[in-house]
Amino acid sequence: MIAVHGSVLAQEIEIESPNIAYSAIYPILIVFGVALVGVLVEAFAPRPRRYVVQTVLAAAGLGLAFVGTVLVAGDLPETQNGLARGGIEAEGALAVDGPTLFIWGAILLLSFFSVLLFAERRLESGVTAFAGQAAALPGTEAEREASTRGLEHTEVFPLMLFAVGGMMLFPASNDLLTMFVALEVLSFPLYLLCGLARRRRLLSQEAAVKYFLLGAFASGFFLYGIALVYGYAGTVTLAGIDGAITNRVGGDGLLLAGIGLMAVGLLFKIGAAPFHAWTPDVYQGAPTAVTGFMAACTKVAAFGALLRVFYVAFGGAQWNWMPMMWIVAALTMGVGCVLTLTQTDVKRMLAYSSIAHAGFLLTGFVGVQAATRDSDDMTSLVAVMFYLLAYGFTTLGAFAVVTVVRDSSGEATHLSRWAGLGKQSPVLAGVFALFMLAFLGLPATSGFMAKWAVFTSAWAGDAQLLVIIAVLASVITAFVYIRVIVLMFFADPVGEGPTVAMPSVLTVVTIAAGVVVTVALGVAPQPVLDLAHQAGEFVR
Amino acid sequence: MDLYLPILGLAVLGAGFAVVTIVTSALVGPKRYNRAKLDSYECGIEPTPQPAGGGRFPVKYYITAMMFIVFDIEIVFLFPWAVAFDSMGIFALVEMVLFIATVFLAYAYVWRRGGLEWD
Amino acid sequence: MSTEPFLVLSALLFTIGAFGVLIRRNAIVVFMCVELMLNAANLAFVTFARHHGNLDGQIAAFFVMVVAAAEVVVGLAIIVTIFRTRRSASVDDASLLKY
Repeated sequence: MIAVHGSVLAQEIEIESPNIAYSAIYPILIVFGVALVGVLVEAFAPRPRRYVVQTVLAAAGLGLAFVGTVLVAGDLPETQNGLARGGIEAEGALAVDGPTLFIWGAILLLSFFSVLLFAERRLESGVTAFAGQAAALPGTEAEREASTRGLEHTEVFPLMLFAVGGMMLFPASNDLLTMFVALEVLSFPLYLLCGLARRRRLLSQEAAVKYFLLGAFASGFFLYGIALVYGYAGTVTLAGIDGAITNRVGGDGLLLAGIGLMAVGLLFKIGAAPFHAWTPDVYQGAPTAVTGFMAACTKVAAFGALLRVFYVAFGGAQWNWMPMMWIVAALTMGVGCVLTLTQTDVKRMLAYSSIAHAGFLLTGFVGVQAATRDSDDMTSLVAVMFYLLAYGFTTLGAFAVVTVVRDSSGEATHLSRWAGLGKQSPVLAGVFALFMLAFLGLPATSGFMAKWAVFTSAWAGDAQLLVIIAVLASVITAFVYIRVIVLMFFADPVGEGPTVAMPSVLTVVTIAAGVVVTVALGVAPQPVLDLAHQAGEFVR
Repeated sequence: MDLYLPILGLAVLGAGFAVVTIVTSALVGPKRYNRAKLDSYECGIEPTPQPAGGGRFPVKYYITAMMFIVFDIEIVFLFPWAVAFDSMGIFALVEMVLFIATVFLAYAYVWRRGGLEWD
Repeated sequence: MSTEPFLVLSALLFTIGAFGVLIRRNAIVVFMCVELMLNAANLAFVTFARHHGNLDGQIAAFFVMVVAAAEVVVGLAIIVTIFRTRRSASVDDASLLKY
């Protein structure tokens, strides 16, 4: 029987004005503010001007927020014996610390290049790759009219900025309620963006329905998990939950059930098995620019949140959840690798590859947790953050390449259509081959350094078995990536063969950024690793 | 129990008012029926025949209903704000103005893009 | 007053919702089941708020209600779109994307 400690209603509660340090959280406010201005532009700007205004606004806003992030990082206070830098802001709702700012920087950079992909117009002969009028039924007069009039949904830019704002909020949340709201703020715009493709609209709408229903289902689990953890600890702040776990208040049942349910929600967003089923369908059906954005940025944000919740709040109970994470990591790598082998569609193949990479990231996640003062050990936080940045740029670049390989019906995503691409366009095929090699983890690419980092931290964290599984998985996926390269360079084109459309400078810049980061992080990773080291631990 | 007496009083008052008005209008009101008056009432529009299986509503209803929900739910935040307004002062006022301004941005979008037009 | 019955009710509602998502075919009904799960969580939040004697849970319930309303709007927009295209809201009919 549960005793009632006191009635809430009977108490006089003193409420004071909150004290909010805007100087630490303004990058988020910039992103949300620009998104709101974008809504106003949609409302009042004349239709022909919207595209240019929205593109410039979104790119400038993200750039400004990135500069802000760098400035905030410049004067972070040190705490906790120099292991962590930063502070808890906004009445305990946000933790602005080194890892938060590193993740913000990564998200803002990746989303900046995603905006360029979103704004690409030359591939669809003068309009963006988003539906002219999403409300018009596919194959009807209304749709034909929308496309002849050259309509396009420029709402995608504000939607994307709202998603970016949610992604920044998600790993920075210092209490579970903020985290839930952030999760939904990042998810809703993505559900809508998935359904807005100009071509293959049935597939796109189906992807949106699947993503939405499964995403809402997963967030229901996440929320109930929060409720149970709150029931256990009596608070939703991460530090308060940590304190409750350390002092062993209440029954473990509530806590363990809560952790399990919350893990379902977070692992869903990451795309880890057995919660990965949505990934291939959504990645294939969504407009490719959105897929690239999702694959790169959602993963960064969701891993940031996963790390924060499990290290800061549930660190004291790690012997309880560690076995679960081991199994999930092994399963994710297994599923990702084996199913990558059987794919015949480039976007689906990249989706399963992203599942496999989620497994590698989870391997790093179960590695050594805490940093010690004055040591250069590879902590799992440093390894995972580095991996996220490297993987994000490679995958965004890979999806950008997918957008330019086309035939008469739009993007030619079937793998057989890619045969002989190397003869058509050696440069593009070479770039895609580079991305494949980075996914595979070949030395001198960012993928190698990233894998080396997570495997080192996992090995030192007594997860040797998992590292062995991960290496085996890498070997299996190597087969897929090599097969794609062989197909592009040594196979004869089928029929007409693929055409490589000449994109505008926007897509070219995105692909180039992918190439530069992939090579730079492979050849000279030390500055970024140092930066991740400097970020230190999470503040508590 | 004393706390509940006013609530009881209000309930009795409300029920009494309803009963009195219904009875009085039934007794003293004029009764002239026509066909439109005998039809079932559907929010002021032409009553639609209901085919087997419930039939379908035009998508316009959906848009209106959604907009109602979105703007209606904002009240949830206004109520606690109003309760604690005294102790929070100017900060709370500014925050709430910002919040409502944000909601009205969405309203402006809906209005300008024709979301409020029925036809 | 004991808070236990409310927690049991909340767990039951959550289970009914989760079960409904898994077995129902109509996207709208699936979605209603998701909403049931969110409301089960709300009940748990306010019950625990009473149990612990603080307000965190009640505030959480407010935010969940708003999030749920936003979810309804986004979700129904997507479901209505696919229904108009295919004249069916069955989740079994959405099967173009597989393997």
